[in-house]
Amino acid sequence: MSGLFWRPMFLLLVCLIGYVAVLGPFTSYMKHKPVEEKLGYVPSADLLRYSCADYKEVVGAALLMKVTMYFGGLMDKQADNIVSEKPDYLSMSNIIHSALKLDPYNMDGYYFAQSFLVWDVKKYVIANKLLDYGMKYRTWDWYLPFFAGFNNAFFLKDFNKAAEYYKRAGELSGDPLYLSLASRYMQKSGQTDLAIVYLSILENGEKNPAVKKKYQFRLAAFKEVRRIELARDRYKEKKGVLPASLDTLVLSGFLAPPPSDPYGGQFYIEADGKVVTTSMFSFTEAGNSKNKVGETDERH
Amino acid sequence: MFSIIQTTLKGVFRDRVFQGIMALAVFFLFIPSAASLSMRQVTELSITLSLSLISILLFILALFLGATTIWKDIERRYTFSVLSLPLSRTTYLVGKFFGIALFMLLTALFLGTVSILVIKFSSVLYPPSRPILWSTIIVSIFFDALKYIIIVAVAMLLATVSTSFFLPIFGAISTFLAGTITQQVYEYLQSQSAQKAVSDVVRNAAKLFYYILPNLSGFDLKVHAIYSIPLNSSGLLLTIIYFFVYTGILLAIGSILFERREMK
Repeated sequence: MSGLFWRPMFLLLVCLIGYVAVLGPFTSYMKHKPVEEKLGYVPSADLLRYSCADYKEVVGAALLMKVTMYFGGLMDKQADNIVSEKPDYLSMSNIIHSALKLDPYNMDGYYFAQSFLVWDVKKYVIANKLLDYGMKYRTWDWYLPFFAGFNNAFFLKDFNKAAEYYKRAGELSGDPLYLSLASRYMQKSGQTDLAIVYLSILENGEKNPAVKKKYQFRLAAFKEVRRIELARDRYKEKKGVLPASLDTLVLSGFLAPPPSDPYGGQFYIEADGKVVTTSMFSFTEAGNSKNKVGETDERH
Repeated sequence: MFSIIQTTLKGVFRDRVFQGIMALAVFFLFIPSAASLSMRQVTELSITLSLSLISILLFILALFLGATTIWKDIERRYTFSVLSLPLSRTTYLVGKFFGIALFMLLTALFLGTVSILVIKFSSVLYPPSRPILWSTIIVSIFFDALKYIIIVAVAMLLATVSTSFFLPIFGAISTFLAGTITQQVYEYLQSQSAQKAVSDVVRNAAKLFYYILPNLSGFDLKVHAIYSIPLNSSGLLLTIIYFFVYTGILLAIGSILFERREMK
């Protein structure tokens, strides 16, 4: 009788000890799985659309969640300077495209794609195509034309198109700010100010900590650029010429304290007076800014 | 007829199906926190999750109730005592169907109420960019229930000829999967590229399936509910008529087959 009772008890005890013993290594194995495995393979959007029955929206949302969580994890590591692992932007973009084919109304997809496609991967045309696709569905949403307008003006320098998109954003939101932005984009100057406005709007409305942090870094970098630009203009006004370098500005007292790039890059002034940074406003660029030749940049 | 409906409903409650649903409905409590992970559409995500949860629960119910009720009655030899009473097999089958359909509607009502509370809670914490159309959410849940009632009818039709519950369950799953994509396949076949790529035989066969299988995509109004897109009322009316006619056909065929079935 006692044997009948003790045997399962013994088995349970052994298995419980085994479970506790394996839990630690198993969790750490899962945590350190290679990135490709974590992000996983996602079947083509058409296949998904046919196989999801009427769960398209929830599958789309799950795919987007997967991408944002993956990216959030990497952002935390970057901010803590643990690793400089480059996010798998191609897979991220593919998954977002699939998710948006399943649910073309999902704002998270457009929003997140915009946040990394233009700044980090410089795929402006792909980003704009995605935004155009979204505008067909989210006909009420002013964010999409607002993003497309910014991409056209800031990155692609297509000011006519930018003005068109901003006009649409203005009409949809009823906010005169976008109409005034549309007209300001017609001038080439003042780009930094416009980027600051754009980033402040996004940063304000953001609640995902990883993405918010990303905006805060970029906003801080642009504010530094603006500070250097103002100092440069004051210098030119006083001395009649552009400063030879950033050091000139700092040493002559026009720029104090010396600027610091939150991405870890170095600011410098180009011959035509343009303020740029070696980090290109991205953590991944800061590390390999030396070998930037041959990078695919869709800007034209 | 009413006594059959009543006993069916009682039987379902006696099997503690409703308690099972209540237990699964605990998942609703996690929806607001899961939805808060969304960057730009917390309320929309909580509507998506709520409606999908309702949908999957109703689907499971439709499968098991539709497929097992008649089979279980035959297995337990209840049918003999019931059918020895002065009522036809058709009455028995239709009564069973209405009992289950009523239970599905009651479940949809219960789950719908819970989900509306959950969505309301999410929308108070994170106000959505567009106002929620509550009526659309309710209509969407109602049409979801109708869709799964069709699946019940399919499962019961298959149960009238089957001796086990495998055919009804797997037949109903296949019908559900096929029924949700027939519209997409049909539209693809109408397109220019398909005219060249697909042979006439395949196209005609696919068209035949399009007309035979239930067109379930018409009952899926989730996108409208999630993103507050206005509904097309005449389209909804047509969908309801489609529901009644299609279910009627399934029940009629089921009754004919059931009347002819030999029961030892």
